[in-house]
Amino acid sequence: METSQEIQVQVRFVTKQTEYAVTDTPMIVPAKLKRYGLSEIINHLLGFEKPLPFDFMIDNLFLRTSLLEYLENSGLSTENIITIEYVESMLPPTPLSSFQHDDWISSVKIFNQRYFLTGSYDNHVRIWNTSGECLQTFIGHNAPIKSVSWISVKDDEEFTFLSASQDRTIRAWRSSLEHNKYISLYECIGHKGSIESIAVSPSCSEFASGSWDSSIMLWTMEIPENSDDDEHIKIQTSSKRRKVIKKEKILTKYPIATMNGHIGAISSVVFDDKDNNKLYSGGWDHSIRIWDVESRTNVDVKNCDKVVYGISYSGKSGLIASGHSDRIIRLWDPRAEDVAVVKLTLSSHKNWVTSVSWSTKNSFMLVSGSYDGTVKIWDIRSRTPLYTLSKQNGDKGKENENDTPKKIFCVDWDQDIILSGGEDNQLHIYGSKKIGFTKSEEEGKL
Amino acid sequence: MKIIKLYQNQIIFRETKTHYVVGVNGKPRKILPEIDPVYDSDSSTENPINSVGNIPMEWYDDYPHIGYDIDGKKIMKPAKGDELDKFLENMEDPDSWMSAKDNLLQQNVKLTDEELEIIRRIQMGSFPEKDFDPYEPTIEWFTGKPEVMPLNATPEPKRRFIPSKWEAKRIMKIVRAIRQGRIVLGKSQVQKPRFYNLWSEDDKSREEHPMHIPAPKMKLPDHDESYNPPAEYLLTDKEKEEWEEMDPDDREKNYIPQKYSCLRNVPAYNRFIQERFNRCLDLYLAPRIRKNKLNIDPESLIPKLPNPKDLQPFPTSLTLSYDGHTDRVRCISIDPTGLWLISGSDDKTIRLWEIITGRCVKTWEIEDIVYSVAWCPIREVCAFIFSCSNKVGVILPTDICDDEVALSTSQYVTNGFNSKRNDEKVKLVEWMKPSDEQNKNGILLFIQHTHDKTIKQVTWHRKGDYFSSIAPDAGNQGILIHQLTKHQTQQPFRKTRGIIQCVRFHPIKPLFFVATQRYVRVYNLMKQELTKTLQPGVKWISSLDVHPMGDNVIVGSYDKKLCWFDLDLSQRPYRTLYYHSKAIRNVVYHKRLPLFASCSDDGSIQIFHGMVYNDLLQNPLIVPVKILKAGHQIVDSLGVLNCEFHPIQPWIISSGADHTIKLWT
Repeated sequence: METSQEIQVQVRFVTKQTEYAVTDTPMIVPAKLKRYGLSEIINHLLGFEKPLPFDFMIDNLFLRTSLLEYLENSGLSTENIITIEYVESMLPPTPLSSFQHDDWISSVKIFNQRYFLTGSYDNHVRIWNTSGECLQTFIGHNAPIKSVSWISVKDDEEFTFLSASQDRTIRAWRSSLEHNKYISLYECIGHKGSIESIAVSPSCSEFASGSWDSSIMLWTMEIPENSDDDEHIKIQTSSKRRKVIKKEKILTKYPIATMNGHIGAISSVVFDDKDNNKLYSGGWDHSIRIWDVESRTNVDVKNCDKVVYGISYSGKSGLIASGHSDRIIRLWDPRAEDVAVVKLTLSSHKNWVTSVSWSTKNSFMLVSGSYDGTVKIWDIRSRTPLYTLSKQNGDKGKENENDTPKKIFCVDWDQDIILSGGEDNQLHIYGSKKIGFTKSEEEGKL
Repeated sequence: MKIIKLYQNQIIFRETKTHYVVGVNGKPRKILPEIDPVYDSDSSTENPINSVGNIPMEWYDDYPHIGYDIDGKKIMKPAKGDELDKFLENMEDPDSWMSAKDNLLQQNVKLTDEELEIIRRIQMGSFPEKDFDPYEPTIEWFTGKPEVMPLNATPEPKRRFIPSKWEAKRIMKIVRAIRQGRIVLGKSQVQKPRFYNLWSEDDKSREEHPMHIPAPKMKLPDHDESYNPPAEYLLTDKEKEEWEEMDPDDREKNYIPQKYSCLRNVPAYNRFIQERFNRCLDLYLAPRIRKNKLNIDPESLIPKLPNPKDLQPFPTSLTLSYDGHTDRVRCISIDPTGLWLISGSDDKTIRLWEIITGRCVKTWEIEDIVYSVAWCPIREVCAFIFSCSNKVGVILPTDICDDEVALSTSQYVTNGFNSKRNDEKVKLVEWMKPSDEQNKNGILLFIQHTHDKTIKQVTWHRKGDYFSSIAPDAGNQGILIHQLTKHQTQQPFRKTRGIIQCVRFHPIKPLFFVATQRYVRVYNLMKQELTKTLQPGVKWISSLDVHPMGDNVIVGSYDKKLCWFDLDLSQRPYRTLYYHSKAIRNVVYHKRLPLFASCSDDGSIQIFHGMVYNDLLQNPLIVPVKILKAGHQIVDSLGVLNCEFHPIQPWIISSGADHTIKLWT
């Protein structure tokens, strides 16, 4: 056994981060080294005074054991040259703050790391800034908000966004901080069931909504002309209570197209973040469908055997990630021809995975939120989650209660900020500055 | 005897004198002389006769008397001289040789001549009696000679000519014994030697015996038991020390290998007695039995069932809990789209839940315990019915349905108020409009029953127009069928038999299932007749469900049994499943998938794969696939009260006495 300490292997270090590139001549290192030892070598080679942590990958899988153990496990010889790719390591995300709401949070969206939009079960939409102030609360929906989406922010003062609710309407809002006023631009009517998800196209020219009535509707952004006959219909159909509450006159808007195809409820729609013409949707019929927006047709269907909840598309990796009712995150390649090809499955959650979000910085990383009360950060090169963020880490007293974990309904990841919201009525904000490897990050305002 | 008789004759002929005296009547009375029985002449009365009988006379040796006479007086011993007197007497008396001792009287008696004659004749070896003639001529009373003439003239009876029945029976007995092998013909008895040598020297093997178990053989000696083992077998000092320290029972070997230079140095074996003793103990005390191995493959005993893994999907784990009720949740129902759930509880509320998030969307306060809720099965109508005390209500949950649907539902439900006819002979129910307050909450309609018994179950017909309400205690009005669009109520059965437990409409045909305590009766509503009676053979039916194809029925009972009926097959259960440890509360089929489930007071839900084939010849396949435990707590010995499958997904929702509702996926 004493001999194993002397085993040495030839390795070659490569990286895609040019600023950290070292010579690619093979070198001999002790096989007992783990991540930390290898990181020391790289720091030594680069001559950094302040050591930077690095992570190492062999064959696109993160090294989590010693080199020797890895070689033994994968049955490789110690005599060949091993090519090790390294990236700047990430520190675990730090919980920055959490903002209390009045009710469950169903949807969160970040804008440019500074403004957070939340939709809540108390029928209100709120905008928060990074210092934890609720800038504005938008009242107008009659049922819990299920989804929110930014349209634009002008000069940090004028916000435009959409909110979709269980009351089967979508509202567009515009608010200005300066005058502390907001108006509801228009109300979109057409769905017959709760609207679960809205997605704005990359060009901000139109948006799509997915509903429990199993249809996807497309809407334009233009503010419609008011017409009287809309109001006429409304008086006839709506039950008395709703009419009483509504005082202000709202412009009504109708969809430009309805796309049917899903059998059963739709849980999530998302636009391709580069292509205005591509829309992805996931539903309770266990399918992920790819739509051609222009021709309003269902281009492709990908089936699995579990209900799809949240989906997310990353333009960087070109993959769709989906959260399922069997606690698994599946990754799909929309370009593949086959009907059901799951590229990868990630499993670690202990309950339904309700939402997923790709990192905007890194093509390998995504965040997922689940009913087991945890948010997990994944690198698809490693089968196990990189980090698990549990709410209970914050206050230890709660752990003893042995409660059922608080469900998480939504996560969002933009640049260096991860948001999550759920049953515990709190918007949790995590800083992930050290995650990912772009050097050009600007100093956050946090 | 002859002599005595002679004397008696003499008595008769004796003459005596006659005397007369004056009698009481003044006439002379003859005084007859006393009769002398003349006993003194009888030899037997000469001496007092000893009446002690034939006993050993030594018993009286110590007494002065030798016995008792007939009057009970002691007979004294005759005076007896000593031996000398006896001798002198013998000498003097010339007749002494002729006397013999009479044992009874303890004295010598002189023998008479006749007696002497008898003695003499016996001594000569001739007959004791003088007159006996041994050679009397023979008189042939019975002879072997056939008579010429028969003694009587009766003809020969019939039985002499027919074979004997009794002989035949005895022969048959033997024949039967031969056939059965009890008597083996031609088997010569092997003569066993009368004596044999018990201690014979030759150690013959014992006779083959079915229960004979040979004693185990002794272990053969090892290499290290040699007197001169190779050096590697010898123990080192350290090993020896270890061996010494070890408990004798734990030692691997009970000896230490020893080395001797030559055989003559080997000492006597010092554990010989001990080993023999142990060997004897082993043979004598160790019980040995012969084990008969059954040559059956255990695999072949297990019925061939597919692996549950191949039968997915089915619910496997607890996902969500719907908390909010403050008392036991009796009933749940899922809307046809599978998005919403309603639950009725003992806390007198109905709650509406969003299934995937566990959000309680709305709560209705009802005046009494809610026993049953049921969504309308058609998608066009967004409403559900509930039952509390003797009322059935219809609620439109306005929060979750589209305005158009809400309007059409409202019209669908309340249209009947306009077309009301009052020509019913017996008023069974009252269709009532709710108050404005209730109307605001979405309650559209109340059906107040005239009986005041609690309605325990409401169930829809598949078309969403008719529904049935059940009040088990209401006697003949226990089952009523209501038509929602026309606001009409009918009583399908004039008389109900037994206590109604549960009813169901057939999903396709116009059949109606009524479960009473012991039986399930199937009625045809069109022809108004009893089609079939199912006999589950259970003591108390709790629940009933009909397969969506309509040919199979499951019945759950309070005595823990679940029965599957194939209606085409028989009136008895196709299969009875006995898996729960407590009463079954509800049984339910999945609407689309081949699944069914039962929930019980033991706090568990059991999921079964129940595949029904289109091929009529193939029996349904029933496989238990999953037991869902550790969800509901048992409160007051009540566990899971109700369960229902999601209409689309392979999920099941259960409600319990612990105030919670759980979703299992």
